[in-house]
Amino acid sequence: MNTQGRPAADSPIARLVEAFHRLPGIGPKSAQRLAYHVLRAPQQEAQELADALLEVKRSVVLCARCQDLTTESPCRICGDASRERTVICVVEEPLDVRAIERTGGFRGLYHVLHGVISPADGVGPEDLKIQELLARLRDVDTGVTEVIVATNPNLEGEATSMYLGRLLRPLGITVTRLARGLPAGADLEYADDVTLGRALEFRQEVR
Amino acid sequence: MHLARLELTNVRTFPRLDLALAPGAHLVIGANASGKSNLLEAIALLATTRSGRAGGDVDLVSWQALAEEPVPAARLAAQVETAQGRTELEIAVIAGGAADRGIEPTRASRRFRVNGVARRASDLIGRLRVVLFAAEDLRIVEGPPGLRRRYLDITLAQLDPTYVRAAQRYARVLQQRNGLLRLLAARRGKPDELDFWDDELASAGAVLIAARAAALRYLARDAAERYAELASPVEALTICYRPALPDELRAAIGEHDLAPRMRSALEAGRRTDIDRGLTRIGPHRDDIAFAIDGRDAGTFASRGQQRTIALALRLAEVTLSTSRTGDAPVLLLDDILSEIDAERRRRVLEAAYGVDQVILTTPDADRPTPGELPQARRYRLADGKFAPA
Ligand SMILES: [Zn+2]
Repeated sequence: MNTQGRPAADSPIARLVEAFHRLPGIGPKSAQRLAYHVLRAPQQEAQELADALLEVKRSVVLCARCQDLTTESPCRICGDASRERTVICVVEEPLDVRAIERTGGFRGLYHVLHGVISPADGVGPEDLKIQELLARLRDVDTGVTEVIVATNPNLEGEATSMYLGRLLRPLGITVTRLARGLPAGADLEYADDVTLGRALEFRQEVR
Repeated sequence: MHLARLELTNVRTFPRLDLALAPGAHLVIGANASGKSNLLEAIALLATTRSGRAGGDVDLVSWQALAEEPVPAARLAAQVETAQGRTELEIAVIAGGAADRGIEPTRASRRFRVNGVARRASDLIGRLRVVLFAAEDLRIVEGPPGLRRRYLDITLAQLDPTYVRAAQRYARVLQQRNGLLRLLAARRGKPDELDFWDDELASAGAVLIAARAAALRYLARDAAERYAELASPVEALTICYRPALPDELRAAIGEHDLAPRMRSALEAGRRTDIDRGLTRIGPHRDDIAFAIDGRDAGTFASRGQQRTIALALRLAEVTLSTSRTGDAPVLLLDDILSEIDAERRRRVLEAAYGVDQVILTTPDADRPTPGELPQARRYRLADGKFAPA
């Protein structure tokens, strides 16, 4: 520590603060609090944190087929012979796979894009795992007849689904989009105008 | 409609304010910097979700709250009464995120509630409608075009929820399209990636242009009449919409095929847009031209004339809001009466007494006089507290 009570720029503490500061959502003050928490913590807690960080980098890879995070490639889902191999659900992030799996209603395969098209953030189609999807449809999962685009129902999600539709339809693949409407258990009176408007637009015949 | 109750907590100079308001005229007397403008700003914010002045949302939160509270927040709440019943509105402005707690917050997030239920901003706007008259209004005439677009947005948002949604979508699409133009200029991506953004920009843009054109037709006619009453000697005010569209498209305004034609114009202009790194046509570059006896008022009119134009425009806005919704808006007059002559004061107050509720501020207890404001309730504002005067 120097006379101002701040760690020198190249000290181990400064390096740790800097490392925390690089994490998303961590400001300089929070980074400092985390660093000093680690300093005060028992040796074992610091060791566990360090091990967990290294272990996740060592053992977690992207599945060569679906690009999901996994400890083995191909992942458990891609390797599961009981899954339907004619339909792929395309999602933005690995967490979306977990969300759809929890429904128990989908038995097909997944593909994780790791983002959405957002040119304002410098993200174009070539920054997403779209080439990997094309290669997979061509070489591995050649029996796929439908791709469900399950991107978020916002502008960037729509742009991405539009792009995928244009790309995949010429290959003879049906491209569908998740329905948009009222959340289950919602009260019509309390639904916001946009959601209600979309639910009306995407209404279904009663059967 | 009228504002039946206003509650402010930690809003600028108000640590705590709870005001019950009846229909009619309310005069707030307070010295400069007593916070009377903040009061009207808070009411306008509940109507439009836009703060009337520069500075971020975080500036809405009182200094005291920022200094003392772990999660500093400003809360604005209103009860609005119309013939259809009562609506409760609430806006909470929360300073800082979890990430920058502990240092001075520079950003704020907002939460909106209507009748106690969390809603989007677009669902809150227009439940309370106001027309705010302020000294800065002459900037609409002589300031940069952005201020005139802002004027249109704030006015139209209160009248038409479709406009709010189109404006929000347009702003986001424009940002994305300009981002893609820059990527394309750097030779990343293909021009046909613009297709989606051009479709969206044209369909949201056409909604904005059609709404602006229709409103300006009404405002131009009504403001010209008002101006003729207010101005001496008699001069002719003309107000003209200047949409940022190629000439051949201006004729398509009001036609159903404006969106597809705008879409074609965007596509035709892609090469130049890529070179310049910006979108050259569309409502984000619109303007309004004000002229007196055919001469551009922004350049040639005196400040007195510009002030009168702004006044005529605000009075026209009152009739537009009333005719569109069948219900008069609440009028907010922020210390504008002391600087205009008796005849103009009479005209403004005539409009003020034609609506359900008007709230006026003044630094001077004698202006307007009790005779000019019959039956007005009078309050004195000092140190963030109200007292009957
Ligand atoms: Zn996989």
